[in-house]
Amino acid sequence: MALIELKEVSKLYGFGDATVLALDEVVLSIEKGEFVAVMGPSGSGKTTLMNVIGLLDRPTHGSYLLDGRNVARRRPNQQARVRRDRIGFVFQSYNLLARLSVLENVALPLAYKGMTPVRRQKRASDILELVGLRDREYFMPRQLSGGQAQRVAIARALINKPSIIIADEPTGNLDSTDSKVVMELLADIHRQGNTILLVTHNPELTRYANRVIYMHDGMIVGDEQTAIGNMAKGARRTHYQKRKVTDDDIAEGVSALMRDVPGKELSAKARKPRPRAKHKKRSAKRLASHRLKAGSRQRREKTRK
Amino acid sequence: MWSGNFKGAIGSLRANKGRSLLTMLGIIIGISSVVTVVSLGEGLKSQVTGQINQLGSNVITIRSGKLVGNGSGISGINLLAFLSTSTLTDKDVQAISKLPSVNSVVPLDFVGSSASSDKRQLDNIFVVGTSSKMADLLHKKVAYGSFFESDDSTNKVVIGSSIAEELFGELNPVGHSLKVSGATFVVQGVLEPSSGGLLSVAQTDFNSAVFMPLKNARSLTNGRTNILQILAKSNSDQLDIAVNDIFAALQKTHDGQTDFTVLKQYELLGIAGNIVNTITRFISGIAAISLLVGGIGIMDIMLVSVSERTREIGVRKAIGATNRQILNQFLIEGLALTLGGGIIGVIVSLIINGLLRIYTSLQPAVTIQIFVIAVGVSMAVGIIFSVTPALKAARKNPIDALRNE
Ligand SMILES: Nc1ncnc2c1ncn2[C@@H]1O[C@H](COP(=O)(O)OP(=O)(O)OP(=O)(O)O)[C@@H](O)[C@H]1O
Ligand SMILES: [Mg+2]
Repeated sequence: MALIELKEVSKLYGFGDATVLALDEVVLSIEKGEFVAVMGPSGSGKTTLMNVIGLLDRPTHGSYLLDGRNVARRRPNQQARVRRDRIGFVFQSYNLLARLSVLENVALPLAYKGMTPVRRQKRASDILELVGLRDREYFMPRQLSGGQAQRVAIARALINKPSIIIADEPTGNLDSTDSKVVMELLADIHRQGNTILLVTHNPELTRYANRVIYMHDGMIVGDEQTAIGNMAKGARRTHYQKRKVTDDDIAEGVSALMRDVPGKELSAKARKPRPRAKHKKRSAKRLASHRLKAGSRQRREKTRK
Repeated sequence: MWSGNFKGAIGSLRANKGRSLLTMLGIIIGISSVVTVVSLGEGLKSQVTGQINQLGSNVITIRSGKLVGNGSGISGINLLAFLSTSTLTDKDVQAISKLPSVNSVVPLDFVGSSASSDKRQLDNIFVVGTSSKMADLLHKKVAYGSFFESDDSTNKVVIGSSIAEELFGELNPVGHSLKVSGATFVVQGVLEPSSGGLLSVAQTDFNSAVFMPLKNARSLTNGRTNILQILAKSNSDQLDIAVNDIFAALQKTHDGQTDFTVLKQYELLGIAGNIVNTITRFISGIAAISLLVGGIGIMDIMLVSVSERTREIGVRKAIGATNRQILNQFLIEGLALTLGGGIIGVIVSLIINGLLRIYTSLQPAVTIQIFVIAVGVSMAVGIIFSVTPALKAARKNPIDALRNE
């Protein structure tokens, strides 16, 4: 029995003309102990997929079995408990609570479990040792570098011994040295038998994974087993995704973006062609808007630096 | 969980110190005014109770002015009666003293004055003009010396304990002389210290009074002939008869007019209680408005806090906080805010009470009940006005909250 079993999961946002199909009948099963990298262009639904698997979001259609039990339709509080006990999140923006110390941040999931302060701080201290930040216990998050903050976030994700670690672009805000430290840490955690889901735009990072999933337009358009240490083939092909989007690109409009669409060849092989001409037209427009959004986001990041 | 939440709540309040304090202000004002007024009321009540202890329960008080209603509607009117000329005279005293149901009668007249010994001077004292029979009515004994025996114009006076202390210090004042409004008198006795004073004249306290024969007191006040108050004593089993007799006798001397009031001690207490309750109710009303405004302020600031911390809520939910746990977090934060306000309010009122004790002769009394009620009310305000913001926080969808910038 697979750890995660998604059966035709769809996620719709908005309604009427503004409807966006963020996940389109996704079928996916992940075994315990896998390190799955999820790739795909911006707006392809990676984050949405992670949120559904992480029980932060509810699918509009379909079922989600976690360890054989359907969890997608549980009540919010039950889902909160599943998140607490079985899922660890690592976010791109760390999401540490600014007013709590490093130790308190890491121990927080245990507080929600009702563990006594002394015991949970001891546990948190042990986990911080694991990520090499024992000596930063009493620092506040703002006193940490990006890489350290992300390691604290990983410690927090680990503290409840979760079944799955979901890391959505954990290295997105980090330079290459910090990225490497964080990825090595995740690799360590994987070696100890944990299941990891990693969303990334960096093909290099597929070296840490033993399975790479490619998404496009809310669908899984490729699923590749790779050896740890090797860069995934599909990822190499989509390498050009990484290039900066310029204003010219945006001005070029829909046709130019259609050329950019990665994994088209892949998708032709990977999935049976389905008659959905009408849908394609809509998704092209949608893609354009994502590119615009992504472009402005990258510009924002540039100005921040 | 709760203690952790409380620590967290205080942390987040301290992160916004200025804002928290401003928000607390309404609560602080509300709580401190209620506590001050209630403790003043308690103090006044115990002062009146003190008077009963001082005079005994079978003493009847006769005062000028007509009592409106029977003890409930009188509040201010009767107090004001003392500002106008009293309708009681020597004739009334004589009429009452002839009644068989009355054991002894004393007139009481109060004159504000100053007193000095050869060492020191006191400005705010009361001269009580009365008769030698006052000794029968006083519950408290004469500590040193004795009460004056003659009602004639002697130069003998009896002084209260705090006057004795302040004018003569360690010395036994008996036999020493003191000056009251320029005239020289000899101290014949010193009263035991007592708590409480007479309600009839505000702020009268036997401890800082000089007792002398009525005639002498009158010579200090350019020969005023009326009497502010008459006290009569009867046997406890004849109390009601005495009251009726006095009433009838006075009506005769007043040509059928009822421009006086005859009161038993506990009725006096009832009146004091009524006045206190009326004032307390009035101030409590104002305080309730202040608490309401304070509560709305708290709700407002909590709503701001919830929307400012949407992302934090998202993170907490992502790592497994249930709706209830988020709800508790914000409820406790609101609670900490009002509890802090309540405690500061109590402290402020204690300071005000202390100042009142030092600079006025009011004796506010704080009881444990007042404190418990103040803290309870502020906690209730905290819970009631935080429910809406806390629910708003608890019901946030985790993913929407996380996406919030
Ligand atoms: N709350 C929302 N309301 C409406 N549309 C949404 C919402 N969240 C996501 N979407 C849409 O769903 C689609 C998938 O978004 P998603 O965030 O999953 O993309 P992504 O693959 O994670 O992109 P990126 O690489 O930029 O993070 C996009 O078209 C996006 O606009
Ligand atoms: Mg994303």
